[in-house]
Amino acid sequence: MHVRAWGRENTGDLAAFERIMSQCERQVLRVALRLLNNPQDAQDAAQEVFLRLYKHFGSLDETRGYEPWLYRVTVNVCRDIARGRRHSVGLAEVPDPASPQPDAYHDAERAQQREILRRGLSFLGEKERAAVVLRDVEGLSTREVAGILGSSENTVRSQICSARLKLRDFTGRLLRRHS
Amino acid sequence: MSCSKFEADVALYAGGDLPAGGVARIESHLAECAECRALAEDLRGGQALLGELRDEPLEEAMLAQVHRRVLEQVRRAGFSRRGALAPLLALAAALTLAVVLLWPRHQAKPIPAARVEPTHLALNAPTPRPNIVPVRHRVARRHRRHSPAAQPGPPLLVQFVTDDPNIVIYWLVNQKPQGD
Repeated sequence: MHVRAWGRENTGDLAAFERIMSQCERQVLRVALRLLNNPQDAQDAAQEVFLRLYKHFGSLDETRGYEPWLYRVTVNVCRDIARGRRHSVGLAEVPDPASPQPDAYHDAERAQQREILRRGLSFLGEKERAAVVLRDVEGLSTREVAGILGSSENTVRSQICSARLKLRDFTGRLLRRHS
Repeated sequence: MSCSKFEADVALYAGGDLPAGGVARIESHLAECAECRALAEDLRGGQALLGELRDEPLEEAMLAQVHRRVLEQVRRAGFSRRGALAPLLALAAALTLAVVLLWPRHQAKPIPAARVEPTHLALNAPTPRPNIVPVRHRVARRHRRHSPAAQPGPPLLVQFVTDDPNIVIYWLVNQKPQGD
């Protein structure tokens, strides 16, 4: 196990931190966006995640990789932000496809379905949402998700199963309403 | 026929999360149940859409803003930390200097009050408390010089009594043979 001592004044460490941030910022911001469904909150969350990374940079075990730690912190930070700022998302907010051209009709329809799904995610409970975002959006294994969320694999299976069925009902209801 | 008892397994099966033991059972059910096949198809469609969310491009401006804000805060924290350390270091240096300069004077205080009480003791003998008469160290030496014994005497017990009644220092001294 190699744990590096962290000297903040050391420009080499600052460069290493910036390199890791550059590698992971898309992933962190994407997960934050899916969990919070609000760009401003997602930016705040990503910023907080990287400031925490900076704070704990020297004490993290590099051999394990930063990703699990970053996912875990992102989920925690997003949970705190979501609890602090409740954004109500109404069904009426889901936009209609904007007069698609015939050749772009399929793409516009998919975009609308994704938008509905994004809205659907925000109606899930926070644990179900975290589980399904990590498993189905990020493509992590059930075991990895369990490790990040600090749950058992059975619990994660139960959460993603419930989340998938709720999302299916939600999108079905909304698509019927829009059609 | 109600398929609600299969829903959870179908949801797991659609995402590839059903443990191996349950796959054969659910596949045989799907083969004969159109309702559950439709559910599985819906769920697979949902899975594909969720996967597309991952590939949606992020706004570069959002990323750049996060990146810039984090680095600004990191640099500011680094500088302010250095700035905050400077007065602390100066204070620590001043305190160290003060301790070094004042230490000998501070230590010298209790010593003048010390008294030396010589007495003779047999080693390993029970030590009844001797009748100690406080004398000055110089007196003790004179006393030793005038001792008639030419052989090494028993160890000399020197008792330093300080101002603090709780602190008494005993010092056992081996006496040299005298008269040679």
